[in-house]
Amino acid sequence: MIRIATLSLLLIGSALAQVRHEDIAQGAGQNWLTYAGTYSGWRYSPLNQINAENTRNVVPKWVYHVPGARGLQSSPIVYQGVLYVTAPNSVYALDGRSGRLIWRYADPRAKSQGPNRGAAIWGDKIYFTTTDNYLVALNRHTGALIFNKQYADVAKGTTSTSAPVIAKGKVIVGSSGGDSGMRGFLMALSADTGEELWKTYTIPAKGEKGSETWGDLIDWGGGATWLSGTYDPALNTLYWTTGNPWPDYNGSVRPGDNLYSCSLLALDLDTGKMKWYFQFTPHDTHDWDAQSWPVLVDTEIAGKPRKIVLHANRNGFFYALDRVTGEFLRATQLIDKVTWAKGIDAKGRPMELPNIEPNAEGNWICPSVKGATNWMGQSYNPGTGLLYVLTLEQCGMFYRSAQQPQPMKNFSGGGATEEGGQVILRALDPKTGKRAWEYPMTGLGRMWTGTVSTAGGVIFSGDDDGNLLALNAKNGKHLWHFNVGEMLTASPITYSIDGKQYVAIASASAVFAFGLFEPAVPIEQPVIEIKKK
Amino acid sequence: MDTMRVLALVLFAIPLLAQHGRYLSDSKNAAIGDPQAIAAGTKLFMGSCAGCHGPDGGGGARGPNLVRRSLWHPLSDDAIFSVIRNGVADMPPTKLSDEQTWSLVAFIHALTGPASTNPVPGDPTAGKAIYWGAKAGCSNCHAVRGQGGSMGPDLSNIGGSRPLAVIREAIVEPAKDLYYLGNEAATVELKNGQTLQGVAKNRSNYSLQLIDTKGTLHLIEMRNVKKLTVSDTTPMPTDFAKRLSRAELRDLLAYLAQQDVRSKESAQ
Repeated sequence: MIRIATLSLLLIGSALAQVRHEDIAQGAGQNWLTYAGTYSGWRYSPLNQINAENTRNVVPKWVYHVPGARGLQSSPIVYQGVLYVTAPNSVYALDGRSGRLIWRYADPRAKSQGPNRGAAIWGDKIYFTTTDNYLVALNRHTGALIFNKQYADVAKGTTSTSAPVIAKGKVIVGSSGGDSGMRGFLMALSADTGEELWKTYTIPAKGEKGSETWGDLIDWGGGATWLSGTYDPALNTLYWTTGNPWPDYNGSVRPGDNLYSCSLLALDLDTGKMKWYFQFTPHDTHDWDAQSWPVLVDTEIAGKPRKIVLHANRNGFFYALDRVTGEFLRATQLIDKVTWAKGIDAKGRPMELPNIEPNAEGNWICPSVKGATNWMGQSYNPGTGLLYVLTLEQCGMFYRSAQQPQPMKNFSGGGATEEGGQVILRALDPKTGKRAWEYPMTGLGRMWTGTVSTAGGVIFSGDDDGNLLALNAKNGKHLWHFNVGEMLTASPITYSIDGKQYVAIASASAVFAFGLFEPAVPIEQPVIEIKKK
Repeated sequence: MDTMRVLALVLFAIPLLAQHGRYLSDSKNAAIGDPQAIAAGTKLFMGSCAGCHGPDGGGGARGPNLVRRSLWHPLSDDAIFSVIRNGVADMPPTKLSDEQTWSLVAFIHALTGPASTNPVPGDPTAGKAIYWGAKAGCSNCHAVRGQGGSMGPDLSNIGGSRPLAVIREAIVEPAKDLYYLGNEAATVELKNGQTLQGVAKNRSNYSLQLIDTKGTLHLIEMRNVKKLTVSDTTPMPTDFAKRLSRAELRDLLAYLAQQDVRSKESAQ
């Protein structure tokens, strides 16, 4: 009788465990509850069991091969020892200690292919979006469907790739498809029902303010929101970046700055209303989406404490803005070779050089279309005060086609090449924008992996050769590496179960977890009684 | 009463992979799902195909079970058309017209395709009452769109992933074909004195995942287990063929056939 009472108390306690706003706002720890670990986009964990001294003892703990996966881009969510990893149109719940599959949810009838960058968690539900724009909510214990709700139409050129961000019960979902013509937006859906709460377009409608910066193609202007953004609870503001204007390489059919493409938008969480915007690349013709998320840091700029937002942009520059007002504070060069602008002026506008447009013969421009950085996970470490960004020194040819633009026909108005190039992990000082150190990598510039950094003074990062590596966060010195045997297309995270810290990363086809070496302890089987019915 | 028995009575199992089924419906042919075409196809099937494949497509001495086969080797409607037209292995080609062939495909689709994509007899509203009522008690263990128990597999997509014949079989013969594996009733006595009850998912020599009677997941390491008692068969009642009338079973199936995560009409 006593045992039954204890049991029921225990079960109630466990069943009531729910992820609340405060839990996510607190940032990463044992759990990893939002795409970038923290609302502020830090990919930072206070865990320090694995540190700069003992990283040499890190060993693989388990591998889970995701059936049929070819280029996983998922950053896992972790709650109470369970990892939630996505592949396109599917979610896998894995035991964080052993890597064993707990459940899988798959929706093979989704009407579109494409990557998926991760799940989200709220209450006792796991959320993800299908490629064809259904928000799906699942029971975190069993993977059972709670609800699914279609929020956008794939027939209008919109697909979905990013991990939702959930704040105060609002599931924020973005839009993909900007290379084929669509109208980008950001939406808030109810975490309880999936109902639309607000929708903010990133491209104005004809006649609205900003529409004068477009020609006739404004209805298909792009400005996709294909990467998760960040959130400042104190300012109740979402920070979200937007992608290229369409058609990508042919700017002649869209005269003007093409607002609000290639921009950072600050939106009120409750209403979706735009508080301010900042456009990094007006009238972009090189497919330099502003994706790479905005990192929120409080620091001193020129001796004055400021709430800033940092942004390493695909166009080759590293920006700092005041995140309350959107005021441009500074831009420094992110990579060594930038040939399209000689710098950023005092108002934040690029000082463009002549002859930078894509043309029929091809125009050689640096950075390449892949950009000086891209959506690879960057990390801010409050211990070192540095931001770690995977950068790419790469140039390429940019072509413009004379064809008539046709929305949703995969028409990008031309093309571009990515030639050679080198990935360099760079530590940047948010106060000055200057480099503290750098770690050059070998490889072909094809990786899409990112970083996580910890209070243990370690950065875990993928490299361009299929290694997960550990660097000393202070000075960038190599500590450890492990070859996963294939390309890395996702970013690492860290979590802890039963007092043991793990580092996990999805490679192209599998999920790997690492931890400190422990000698094996033989397991004695319990008494097992097989009961006949 | 024996706890295991109580547990067994309230559990109800359907294939573990119920929500993960796959069917390749790539054809836009109007015959698919059309009752007249299906009726025409039925006649053709009984005349030309049933001899080898059985009158219900359940297989015979010379032809495979088409219903089961669709689970592990789904064919698109176009591929079925091509097999009927051209034959395969020992199966001879046919000289049916396009229209006849498509009506045969429509019949096979109705037999082997997801229940939600085919006309299904019965009253789904009456079936809904049976599902959520005490007589069948399905909802004690199986959830649909977030309502219902968590110990049995979720049925939110059962109609979207399984042919009607397979859903029927899982209800009337739940112990057949190891449907219950991964859903065995289990009692776990831990070394720390706690006891947990539920269904054992993914049991290995090293770890066990248990969904308890409240629907909470427990990740258990076998090194922490003192004693594990696990049932060797399905926890689902095996008497539904007797417990429900023929009409009730038909209505229940009509309701389950509607459960499809991709259908706007599917609702609790």
